[in-house]
Amino acid sequence: MSLNRLVNKFEYTLFRHRALVIVAFLLATLFLLFKATSIKLDAAFTKNIPLKHEYMQTYLRHAEDFGGANNILISLCDESGNIFNAGFFTTLRQAHDELLYTPGVDRVQVKSLFSPSTRFVEVVEDGFAGGPVIPADFVANSAGLAKVKENTEKAGVVGRMVADDYSCAMISAQLLEVNPDTGEKLDTINFASVLEQNIRGKYQSDSISVHIIGFAKMVGDVADGAKGVLVFFAIAIAITSVMVLFFCRSLMLTILPIACSLIAVIWQMGLLSVLGFGIDPMSILVPFLVFAIGVSHGVQMINSTGKRVAAGMNAKTAAQASFRKLLVPGGVALLSDTVGFLTLLIIEIGVIRELAITASLGVAVIILTNLILLPVLMSFVKFSKRYQERAAAPTPKTDKIWFTLSAFASRKYAAVILLVTATLFVFGYLQSQQVKIGDLHAGAPALHEDSRYNQDTFLITDRYAISVDYLNVMVETIPSACTEHDIMAKIDTFQWLMENVEGVQSAVSLPSVSKAINAAFNEGNVKWRVLPRNTQSLVQASSRVETSTGLLNADCSVMPVILFLQDHKAETIERVVSAAKKYGAELGDEQTRFMLASGPAGVMAATNEAVSEAQQPMMWYVYGAVILLCLLSFRSLRATISVILPLYVVSVLATALMTKLQIGLTVSTLPVIALGVGIGVDYGIYILSNMTQMLRDGMPVRQAYFEALKERGSAVLFTGMTLAIGVSTWVFSALKFQVDMGILLTFMFIVNMLGAILVLPALAAFLWRKK
Amino acid sequence: MLNKFIWLLAASAVAAITPFMMQAQQSEPQPAYQMPNANKALLTDLVKVNGQQLVAVGERGHILLSQDGQNWTQAQVPVQSNLNSVYFVNPQRGWAVGHDATILITEDGGASWQLQHYAPQTDKPLFDIYFADSQKGIAVGAYGIFYRTDDGGNNWHKHFHEELLLEEEREYLAELKETDPESYQIETEALLPHFNRLYAAGDALYMIGEAGFAAKSINFGDSWQRLGAFYNGSLFDITGTPQMALLAVGLRGHAFISKDQGMHWQQITLSKHATLNSAFSDDNGSVYLVGNAGTLLISRDGAASFTDYSQADGKAIVNGLVWHNLLVLVTETGVRTINLSELK
Repeated sequence: MSLNRLVNKFEYTLFRHRALVIVAFLLATLFLLFKATSIKLDAAFTKNIPLKHEYMQTYLRHAEDFGGANNILISLCDESGNIFNAGFFTTLRQAHDELLYTPGVDRVQVKSLFSPSTRFVEVVEDGFAGGPVIPADFVANSAGLAKVKENTEKAGVVGRMVADDYSCAMISAQLLEVNPDTGEKLDTINFASVLEQNIRGKYQSDSISVHIIGFAKMVGDVADGAKGVLVFFAIAIAITSVMVLFFCRSLMLTILPIACSLIAVIWQMGLLSVLGFGIDPMSILVPFLVFAIGVSHGVQMINSTGKRVAAGMNAKTAAQASFRKLLVPGGVALLSDTVGFLTLLIIEIGVIRELAITASLGVAVIILTNLILLPVLMSFVKFSKRYQERAAAPTPKTDKIWFTLSAFASRKYAAVILLVTATLFVFGYLQSQQVKIGDLHAGAPALHEDSRYNQDTFLITDRYAISVDYLNVMVETIPSACTEHDIMAKIDTFQWLMENVEGVQSAVSLPSVSKAINAAFNEGNVKWRVLPRNTQSLVQASSRVETSTGLLNADCSVMPVILFLQDHKAETIERVVSAAKKYGAELGDEQTRFMLASGPAGVMAATNEAVSEAQQPMMWYVYGAVILLCLLSFRSLRATISVILPLYVVSVLATALMTKLQIGLTVSTLPVIALGVGIGVDYGIYILSNMTQMLRDGMPVRQAYFEALKERGSAVLFTGMTLAIGVSTWVFSALKFQVDMGILLTFMFIVNMLGAILVLPALAAFLWRKK
Repeated sequence: MLNKFIWLLAASAVAAITPFMMQAQQSEPQPAYQMPNANKALLTDLVKVNGQQLVAVGERGHILLSQDGQNWTQAQVPVQSNLNSVYFVNPQRGWAVGHDATILITEDGGASWQLQHYAPQTDKPLFDIYFADSQKGIAVGAYGIFYRTDDGGNNWHKHFHEELLLEEEREYLAELKETDPESYQIETEALLPHFNRLYAAGDALYMIGEAGFAAKSINFGDSWQRLGAFYNGSLFDITGTPQMALLAVGLRGHAFISKDQGMHWQQITLSKHATLNSAFSDDNGSVYLVGNAGTLLISRDGAASFTDYSQADGKAIVNGLVWHNLLVLVTETGVRTINLSELK
């Protein structure tokens, strides 16, 4: 076998130049450590968007005219419950100006009571009267404030710029992805901290509270929470170390796999930095996964070496033998992880692609650090006589456990196991079909409900009539369409139909505003709230609306219908989107097209659809890669089935668990299933690679399994438990998203392990018949 | 959401312009959509029919029926035009009018409606309709539009009441008729003010409208007499008080009372200055004024003085009535009911 020859040659070279290998690794590590220190958290709005999705194509086509979906809302609330006092208005003006001059903000789009475009109009006997809500000669005394209050009501901005109960006032702004002056990309996380310092820091006081929401702020808060991940990382390392020490009873054998796994993490970070990537707050957990996978392989290595030392080999021979024995199964497992993670690249969403690169890079370097460096380092370990004696001592108790366990490889018990598995699978499959796409809860799902950000979201949606969850249907039509009654009437009808869809709170479009203006032109008589049929009156009613309102472009060939939604739950968005498609098709024609979608909820709709479309192919690709690699390495269909089937059952059960825990499939949770496959495949491959040779030689399945358990069972059981305990600490995280991940990964570590030691042998029992 | 955007308007004094351009297209009427939020959309008029049920009309051809003032069902209507007024001559037979010169008739107490008149090309809304009996009726609207029927609405005829013009307008028209017949035609379509509301009291029929317009007819609209000017702003409603006086309300909180059948008018001083859309009274003798910016004023002394019960949300109230122990209002955001006991 050529593979064997290759491994032998590699082994020979490697162990002849051990010092050289170690020096090379040392130098590489130092270099990459240096690089890794400069890695930055990096988040951008566009990375979270499926840019190729048709909705986002519409969104991008009109982004220049209508601005993006990346907005920020700042609500200042007066603790007294009434904003009309001098102190509040001084602070509001300062905060408005502060935001106006914050780099990254689109100055034209900064709106509050203090923006010059905030005007009121009233009907008087001889026509209209009006002016800015806050007059140029405004003085914050009782007369001035009373005037402003009156103007605020006339301007109709209550619920939008001022809370329904006058307890808060809003400043809203849109962010520019690229600074037009410098051409630099917006540093979202930095922007968030600037908001925190310059707005909340400066203007929050005993009498005024500051509430900030929007994508940038959310990412900033996630990034803040992500810093806490380091603590969890440290805890996980500590727990793992103690458990490894307990497992191998040798300080040196504990330090080596842990150190090698950490080196893998350093390499991963360093390489990312070299390649010019940052770490997205949503991928912050990937280094931990790399560490975990590293430890899992490292433990196999020390286990194997330790057993050989116990059998009387010296350290070098034992390490060398372990290397030879584990390079292929370990390599195959890690390679399938790598390929599995790489398949995530097919999903055209920036953050997922970054995750694919981050994770596959990390797993690939484990091949170097834990399958090559680790055995080389171990060959230098001086094993004490005591260690050797203790390791060599017979372990009747453990053997007995293994023997009992090996019963699962006998048909009698195997049948029971398979029956239970099948039942679980059917149950899980039914549940998994009900997994929801998108965010299932109001607020930012990455953060806890009681987090500052979500509390601010609840406050704003509670006190104002508007929300950040709006979806724009872009009506693309002919130039000067706002002078055509039929087209305007169509848009108006569409808006009305959408206003009747459950989940749509309110809506606005150029026609609805034009109708109000037409009424205003007719002495404010609401009976004139119609679209005039004659062109002149219609022009009069629509030409006064400026493009800065976001209701039309320069030649009014594009007019969005803005739908304010109750929330951004997946089913709400889905219901609204499907209604918009239906009514758009009914009312639209060649001239007038109702195009989805823009606005934050439009982005979510596209993301949800992209995630839902990606779900199936992703599974096919991940499994395709793993199956192919298993076939190549085992050269056995039976072996491949034995490894893959339990894995698949676990994937399905994990999805079912998501349904049960009400975790939606989103950009951040979608990759978990793929990661789970990557992590889970290790166990099966280690166990089975040990069995296949013996099975080929005609050994009964139960006996082969017993031998495999003796050789590797403890390592499998141990890694499963250790990693599960490590991730389970995540439930204490400040990030809701990390809590969810923690639960899912704990589940997958444990259940995959159970799958490998219970279901795999049961399958083998039926697949390999006695000769 | 709608009136939130009025602020977008630049402040400039532009009077309602007169449309000269008419679009020739005649669009086919489309039946109104049956929608769950129809009772939350703009409603403009409300009547009780035979003490049995309420009928409300509003935008997009919405006609709503209710037995209790709380639960409303939408009737089948063959048009989507905004409706402005509804009138029942008996429990079965009623009419509704609105934009696109729409006139609808029901023969089954409001459950189903048929189209009698529809002329979108005129671009003129009808604002009120009144029937003296089941055959003789009048419908009036913007730019002095005036229709009448003598056969229950099977045929509607347009009338131009020259006597409603001001003296100098009559002279101008007479001259134009000689020199430029074409312009004369156009001017007859535009010279008259908007006719906003009809009110019948005994033998007299009153009509009020734009720019202080008020007129009286004692032969059911065959001929009219213009009442002396008492206000230069628009009037939106006229009604009788329980004390048999006339009450007219209009722009910017203006209300006037006449105790001599419209000969002399006296302004009532009110605390609110928003435009008043309607005035009505209940069986207990209370008089209600409703208007824009949530205005709700109630008088319990025959319109001598009013107490302010204006609604905090500032939504325009267009009309209303008292139904058992409920004050039922039609507003720009649909039906609103207030228990009378809350208005003490």
